[in-house]
Amino acid sequence: MTADLSRDDRRSMSVEETRRRSADLFAVLHDEGASAAERDTARDRLVHLHLPLVEHCARRFRNRGEPYEDLVQVGTIGLIKSVDRFDTDRGVEFSTYATPTIIGEIKRYFRDKGWAIRVPRRLQELRMQISASTAELTQTLGRSPTPRELADAIGCSVEEIVEGLESSNAYSTLSLDATDDDSDGGAGQSMLDAMGVDDGALEHVEIRESVKPLLENLPAREKRILLLRFFKNMTQSQIAEEIGVSQMHVSRLLSRTLEQLRHSLEADG
Amino acid sequence: MSETSVPAAEHSAPTGEPAEVELRLPADGAYASVLRTLTAGLAARLDFTMDDIEDLRIAVSEAAAIVLDEADPGTVLDCVFRLEPASLGISVSATSSAPSEPDYESFGWQVLATLAAEASIDTTADTYAVRLTVRSSLAS
Repeated sequence: MTADLSRDDRRSMSVEETRRRSADLFAVLHDEGASAAERDTARDRLVHLHLPLVEHCARRFRNRGEPYEDLVQVGTIGLIKSVDRFDTDRGVEFSTYATPTIIGEIKRYFRDKGWAIRVPRRLQELRMQISASTAELTQTLGRSPTPRELADAIGCSVEEIVEGLESSNAYSTLSLDATDDDSDGGAGQSMLDAMGVDDGALEHVEIRESVKPLLENLPAREKRILLLRFFKNMTQSQIAEEIGVSQMHVSRLLSRTLEQLRHSLEADG
Repeated sequence: MSETSVPAAEHSAPTGEPAEVELRLPADGAYASVLRTLTAGLAARLDFTMDDIEDLRIAVSEAAAIVLDEADPGTVLDCVFRLEPASLGISVSATSSAPSEPDYESFGWQVLATLAAEASIDTTADTYAVRLTVRSSLAS
């Protein structure tokens, strides 16, 4: 670990610094004479000081289907355990001692919590054996292996392979936000998108219901002009021809009617 | 478990009649996983490869989905498996009071027809059946 970091000169300086501060803090933590508060503070600061080590360990497990932040969290538990158990008299670096503990904690998390549905340990291990052997046999045979070939390679029965295959479906459940890229209906659409949404026209219901009685009260000619303009999509000139007035008059009538409607709506609202 | 528990076709009755397995389920999507599991289990014993089994699971799911669409509510999904050497014939059917015309353009059918060696939709006045045959890729 330390050798790894010291490749970079600047970093090796900060490693030296970290090592020194770490030793000081451990001295306080293990000092029988120090008060409980002092020792607590030292413990806190030790954990904070070594957090980058946890991040480093967690990064090694990225892209395995668990959020990086979750891995940092469980890794931090490993770090806290290490701080509590570390014995300075052993003469080893803290990072040397803490790394296996942190990684162990992360690995245990994958084993126990990574599964969406709890599956017996035996099946979890079987599933790992199956996927490893499948990859290996696919290479040597040049085709996908049969369950019998897998069973022979692993040293179990065909029944157990079938069981293992079933359990592998339990590793991950489908998220509602997961996109289904393999269907033809709109790539990148998530399950959630495919579910019902509020009808876009719903918000207009109120407006439409409020306008309805106002429209009823309009004089017949105005009503007809609105109908021709907005439902038959006629131009003002066409409407003018239709009802036998000038286009200017239609324009005036239209704007006046619309203005009236708007006013009545606002007054009501 | 011992080799005797493996009813692969080569171990079937000396008469040469292929073994048949029948599964009856409520015609409800919730039971589809039971159908998939049995299908995978049978295929594993017939020496289908892992890829074949995965294809088969998808094909049988699509067949069930097509039939369930037509099935009358509260009826039974009848699944018959015919175990032959390196080949599995599957028939999924249900009672349907008004079976619609087979839709050979639907996505589900396209998937099914691609994955299966043979596939057909048979409708009568009151049943809707999807039949498919899948062969192990080791057979050829």
